[in-house]
Amino acid sequence: MAILIIAEHDDRTLKSATLNAVTAAAQIGAELHLLVAGRDCRAAAGQAARIPGLAKVLLADDASLAQQLAEKVSPLVVELAKDYSHIVAPATTSGKNLLPRVAALLGVAQLSEVIGVESTDTFRRPIYAGNAIATVQSLDSVKVLTVRGSAFEPAPAEGGGTPIESIHFAGDAGDSARFVGEQVAVSERPELSSARIVVSGGRGLGSGESFALLERLADKLGAAVGASRAAVDAGFVPNDRQVGQTGKIVAPDLYIAVGISGAIQHLAGMKESKVIVAINKDEEAPIFQVADYGLVADLFEAIPELERKL
Amino acid sequence: MSDYIHPYRDAEFVLNELVELDRLCADAGLSDVNGELVSAILAEAGKLGSEVLAPLNRTGDTLGVRLGESGVEETPGFADVYRQFQEGGWPSLTAAEAFGGQGLPNVVGTAVNEIWHSANLAFALCPMLTQGAIESIAHHGSDMLKGSYLPRLVSGEWTGTMNLTEPDAGSDLAAVKTKAVPQGDHYLITGQKIFITWGDHQMTENIAHLVLARLPDAPFGVKGISLFIVPKFLPDREGRFTVRNDVACVSLEHKLGIHGSPTCVMSFGDKEGAVGYLVGEPHKGLAYMFTMMNHARQAVGLQGLSVAERAYQQALPYAKERLQGTNKDGSRFSIIKFPDVRRMLLQMKASNEAMRALALVAAAETDRAHGADAARHQGRVELLTPIVKGWLTELAQEVTALGIQIHGGMGFIEETGAAQHYRDARILTIYEGTTGIQALDLVGRKTLANQGALLADLLEEIGETLQQLEAGGERFAVQANALRNALEAGREARRFLLDNAARDPSLAGSVSVDFLLLFGYLSGGWLLGKSALRAQALLNAGGGDARFLNAKLVTSRFYAEHLLPRTGALLAAIKAGSASIMALDEDQF
Amino acid sequence: MKILVTVKRVIDYNVKVRVKPDHSDVDLANVKMAMNPFCEIAVEEAVRLKEAGLATEILAVSVGPKACQEQIRTALALGADRGIHIETEDFPESLEVARLLAKVVEAERPELIITGKQSIDSDNNQTGQMLAALLDLPQGTFASALKLADGRVEVTREIDGGLQTLSLSLPAVVTTDLRLNEPRYASLPNIMKAKKKPLEVRTPAELGVQPRAHTRLLKVEAPAERKGGIKVASIDELVEKLKNEAKVI
Repeated sequence: MAILIIAEHDDRTLKSATLNAVTAAAQIGAELHLLVAGRDCRAAAGQAARIPGLAKVLLADDASLAQQLAEKVSPLVVELAKDYSHIVAPATTSGKNLLPRVAALLGVAQLSEVIGVESTDTFRRPIYAGNAIATVQSLDSVKVLTVRGSAFEPAPAEGGGTPIESIHFAGDAGDSARFVGEQVAVSERPELSSARIVVSGGRGLGSGESFALLERLADKLGAAVGASRAAVDAGFVPNDRQVGQTGKIVAPDLYIAVGISGAIQHLAGMKESKVIVAINKDEEAPIFQVADYGLVADLFEAIPELERKL
Repeated sequence: MSDYIHPYRDAEFVLNELVELDRLCADAGLSDVNGELVSAILAEAGKLGSEVLAPLNRTGDTLGVRLGESGVEETPGFADVYRQFQEGGWPSLTAAEAFGGQGLPNVVGTAVNEIWHSANLAFALCPMLTQGAIESIAHHGSDMLKGSYLPRLVSGEWTGTMNLTEPDAGSDLAAVKTKAVPQGDHYLITGQKIFITWGDHQMTENIAHLVLARLPDAPFGVKGISLFIVPKFLPDREGRFTVRNDVACVSLEHKLGIHGSPTCVMSFGDKEGAVGYLVGEPHKGLAYMFTMMNHARQAVGLQGLSVAERAYQQALPYAKERLQGTNKDGSRFSIIKFPDVRRMLLQMKASNEAMRALALVAAAETDRAHGADAARHQGRVELLTPIVKGWLTELAQEVTALGIQIHGGMGFIEETGAAQHYRDARILTIYEGTTGIQALDLVGRKTLANQGALLADLLEEIGETLQQLEAGGERFAVQANALRNALEAGREARRFLLDNAARDPSLAGSVSVDFLLLFGYLSGGWLLGKSALRAQALLNAGGGDARFLNAKLVTSRFYAEHLLPRTGALLAAIKAGSASIMALDEDQF
Repeated sequence: MKILVTVKRVIDYNVKVRVKPDHSDVDLANVKMAMNPFCEIAVEEAVRLKEAGLATEILAVSVGPKACQEQIRTALALGADRGIHIETEDFPESLEVARLLAKVVEAERPELIITGKQSIDSDNNQTGQMLAALLDLPQGTFASALKLADGRVEVTREIDGGLQTLSLSLPAVVTTDLRLNEPRYASLPNIMKAKKKPLEVRTPAELGVQPRAHTRLLKVEAPAERKGGIKVASIDELVEKLKNEAKVI
């Protein structure tokens, strides 16, 4: 049987997390179908069709699917599910919102944040904030999983020519869940959990004002700005910046930790980064034990210098 | 992760196995209180301590306090900590239910106070002093004073202070000069007090100062001192406390440690005289202070444990993480692999566990002194109080010093944080009666005055534990041998003092501190021996946390091997008596 | 309005987990346990709604072994009115927990169900969504704000890159994100009072649910240890390494 991948998109554009999910699904090994469900989402489906390696792009375009509310999309996926062995979505907030609902309606488990495919029914996933990795075998007939983007290389976005198949879906128009509005960050900086480079600050910054130093560096690098829990607790920055066990889990190509001591709690949120740089004046700071490149220096001198020399 | 985590396993082990908390509560008629509830209380207090109090410990040390226009400004952030502490109802823990207290046993209060003092010693002094004020008023105040002050102090809405010391009256309170002149329903107080802990701050709307002063007709000396309550703010016509009383902090001391705790010079009556109210009867102030002394002194002893525990928690991760040894292949290993570092860590751990056991067992005696066999338990309170105060705070000096030593050069540098505990600990052997005063209390009032009866009773109980260890055979041989020697040293020291004190007036004072330390180490050995017996029993029954219980057996053994033998050296020093101590002329020093 | 909150007993977040030497699972023997931090946020939100006069009763439910009653007591100390403990030998899988909770919801008829978005042990992030699905209720996951008005609940959700606001009819399921509130500490008087609040124990059989396994845990490993790299002496050296060695800038 084939694998159904749920596309991450905003009707107009396909989100890159979809490409990582395609790679994960390809590793399971079966015919890959990609579902683009939304309203006026033909453009996104068109982009999906250019991904190589897909057998089919399913397009469900219906007014009821606007904003892709889980209450509305889940019946569609459940209806399609009988033809599939696996249902895969990116472990984004929309994937995590939707797939457990689908799984429950199917009466099966859902595996979250899969980081490795061992076989068609066995997967690896982090537990305890990544402090342990579980290998889990699914006993259900349909395997429903979300996959962590940072664990799978993105599939190519271009080069394919997959046929788009429209599916008729007349969803429930009820308003038990109603979309009111959306505030998507207007920041020029990339989003923390999907940024290629993250610059994070800790208690060593000493104040919220000092974060301006990091922001300038981040802008030079096209990076997102994160923070340790200590910096958040000290009130330097709002807590949506927090990287760590109870904050965001990030795995960028480059993570620059500035004035962060490296509490276990923080390491849990960033240690999967490909390259870690630590800048701290305390040469004993535990962060140096995970850093690829450590620099013992006063951050107030080092950061402006780094910004200049990039 | 927080810098401080309450060692709840050890605290609960002591409460359940040594104090036998469930029985204590049942005997006291507290049917609702049991180990399960206490463990929930400790868990929440531990959380507040780790997450709210502890993060500001360093801030208090580095920023300290300052004297501003409207009085003392506490360390930034402390007011918010206090608010959370107060909202949690923690000041009410042991207070009577009639005044909004929770009526929990003293031993539970002590176990919880360990957390506050470990998390933030400087901060925790404020509620500790308030507790002293609550007790003075509860025991000696009129119903009217109780009604107007206790609910506000118990709720933590107000804090309290103790104003005893004057520039000329420190350990010798008989020299108190502060005056109180009657005026209608109150008194006008004038004078200066020094070393007033948390004498002023902005965290609460009012502060109740308990003040020792002399009435105009007072007899000379200790029998002429009365106790007054002097609020920072007096009520206005609407009954709101907005009228500033004539009392103020006029300067702050610069100290070696506990920088987050304002130590104030308080001036009473710079203008018209500070309005004060008499607590209890005239001329009984010092006697009232004595009734609170056991509690206050045990509380300071507990601070010794607390700061030592914090020093251990600072040193332990450092020892595990600090790479300072090189393997043959060039890779490095952490210093905890070195035997001497392990020796230091174990010395800290064993000392702390012995201190915790003694602090809680002594605190429980206070609870038991209200039930069956009250006289015997009160006797034990009297005996253990100077030992808890003196020995725990002296041991804290050694433990906090080891905390620095493990850090090596990094420990001498303030940024590491180990030095703070060492500096903070230093006051503990001094305030609330120096170690010398505690030791004199032990040899005089607590030993010679009763021909050693109280000590004999303790020695007998230790002998029972020794018998149980001996009955345990090979498994407890190390503990049994060490305890047997230490017990014999204790018996001999007692006999020596009783036999020779009358002959040589300088003897008691010459040997007193060694005498106190000897009984401290012996009591610690007794309770860790008992701990080993309980831990083994639990292991045999297959209950409890095996890793913790096995570690307890090792800690008990380490104490028996490395710390308990100190009693032998102390005995030798005691038996040397006063000869060399008194031999030099003053100008030969 | 009655609110049902769920609380899970998990490893205390300060404790570093250890994998068992035989890799069968993590070692939780004698480890300090506490209420899942996201569940604390759920309880706090319910208590705030009650304090604001918008809720009348808070029911705290936990599924798991007997020791879970400690966490229910904590919820009661934080302000919940009564507790239901669904006693199971082990912790059932999320779908089974959702099925058990669904039975309680059917019997208790709360108008609002607040759950943590995930537990910090299994990190699944699914029980709330599953419960909503089983009961055919709307869901507001990863909530950072919640407002009750006109018989509906308006939930602001944390989504990748921003916030989304949904209006849900009641009853609804809301799952909490970190920023919804900052949980209070239980006060001493409330810890004492919690002992006297009602706590009912139910079994899955009484609820007509037979929990079953959907997955098999084959192995648990510690993550690959990250090795410390090198120390660079200057910014110039750092920039050179990042450009030429790591090739990340």
